[in-house]
Amino acid sequence: MTLTVVKPGLQTTLQGAPFSGHRHLGMPAAGAADCLSVALANRLVGNPLDATAIEITLDDAKFTVGQANLVALTGAACFLRINGKDRPVHSPIPVTPGDEIHIGPSDKGCRSYLAVAGQIAAQSVLGNQSTYLGAKLGGYEGRTLKTGDKIKINEGSDVKTSGAETPSGLRPIMSKGHIIRITIGPEYSALSHNAQKKLFDKKFTIGARANRMGLALQSTPLEQHDGPQMKSAPVFPGTIQCPPDGEPFLLGPDAQTTGGYPRIAQVIRADRHLIGQLRPGSDVQFVRISPVQATEIYRQKLALLTPWLGAVSLW
Amino acid sequence: MSAGDIHACDDWLCCPLKNLEEAQAAIAACREEEKWQEVVTGLDSIAVQFDPAVMSPDEAIDLFTEQLLHPSIASIGSSTPITIPICYDPEFAPDREWLAEKMGLSADALIAWHSGLSFKVTMLGFMPGFAYLQCQEAIADIGRLPKPRQKVPAGSVGIIGDQSCVYSFDSPGGWPIVGRTPLKLFDPNRDDPALLSANQSVCFEPIDRAEYETIKAKQDSEDSA
Repeated sequence: MTLTVVKPGLQTTLQGAPFSGHRHLGMPAAGAADCLSVALANRLVGNPLDATAIEITLDDAKFTVGQANLVALTGAACFLRINGKDRPVHSPIPVTPGDEIHIGPSDKGCRSYLAVAGQIAAQSVLGNQSTYLGAKLGGYEGRTLKTGDKIKINEGSDVKTSGAETPSGLRPIMSKGHIIRITIGPEYSALSHNAQKKLFDKKFTIGARANRMGLALQSTPLEQHDGPQMKSAPVFPGTIQCPPDGEPFLLGPDAQTTGGYPRIAQVIRADRHLIGQLRPGSDVQFVRISPVQATEIYRQKLALLTPWLGAVSLW
Repeated sequence: MSAGDIHACDDWLCCPLKNLEEAQAAIAACREEEKWQEVVTGLDSIAVQFDPAVMSPDEAIDLFTEQLLHPSIASIGSSTPITIPICYDPEFAPDREWLAEKMGLSADALIAWHSGLSFKVTMLGFMPGFAYLQCQEAIADIGRLPKPRQKVPAGSVGIIGDQSCVYSFDSPGGWPIVGRTPLKLFDPNRDDPALLSANQSVCFEPIDRAEYETIKAKQDSEDSA
């Protein structure tokens, strides 16, 4: 069975689990930018939570269905239409051959996830199927989807789903403003005393330079002490770096593995899925917590998700 | 190092290291530990990432400290030296003349000079398989290009003084380019996807355009096999 791309939108890629255990080779994580939304979509169609899904960014997108199946949409899209008729998001939707799936643009948030029962058969690289655009690896020929692309779905899948919808309490609320918790980074002290205060007292606005690699944090410049330049050091998705011009940037899933600017903060794992929903113009307020508090928050979040999702991890 | 040198975020730790040898020993010890999801080195530091559902930051710090204090001796310097074929054809070396002028050499002398240098891989980063090299001989810092290129082809070898690099994929970049290797720096289908590894000794061997094309064709056919 296939799904044919009719309208790909701005940047639509196949994304699921991140690449893991290869950062020392320079291989970024990639994978779904909003790991919670992809897990929720997969859950609705009976797939493993980190199965490869279609990640759609900001714009609307259309697909036609080759064979009867079950799909589910989560994330930022403002509507889901099948053959022009509105259907609910966060719900398993049966589709039949010839159906047109129309995924609406995002009016808040940034990315939507379309999961297909039986799982998408994408290109496997290093044991994983997510797309890493920077090196054109994995996914669909390592690139964003184009009109006419045929996405293969594994045959002979035994679709088992209860038909239930995502419980309302677990549906992430899309917003243009987020409170994001961070721990301080190794070079936090490179910031002036005043800048350290501003990092938590002021809000930041996501700039136009916002993609899967990173997001510019504008409107609150952060001054640094004049110190010796640091040498390139490991960075991770969610690391906030601050170059000498004082405009920090927040690293996304496709961020390179090492960086040479002070690592002033790190978004905690429990909140990292929010990065995938930040878009140009979004406001962010950072809240400082300790690593121990972050661990507690992460474990509590997993405990809240487990009754619906089963064993789940976020990245 | 001491435990006080370790910085903890909620799911990764990092620690400054004195030199590449210390880093290599630390990596070897950390790699043996399944609880680390990632073990990554910088030029003078190491970081490990863990699952906070499994380990608390304090437990992680204890484990990391133990491994940094008892680095693995076995794997130090175990990387095999590698000779990388490089073609200095003008098409592959757009900055050869610029470099030669900066170094006060003729274009031909630059080839002899560059292929006589020895390097060590300091780390992989920036892109999969992208290697940072440290020249073992002292070289004047000639700086980056005044204007970065939109596209530097895969295999390009850059040099900015005693720091050098090999591009693993086409990408934007600001390093002056001295030549290009036909070897694939990163191939996810190989057992070791990255051609180079940290602490490995590297030197360059000049090849002509025909040899370049032969090796390139061979690499590409292996790729499609």
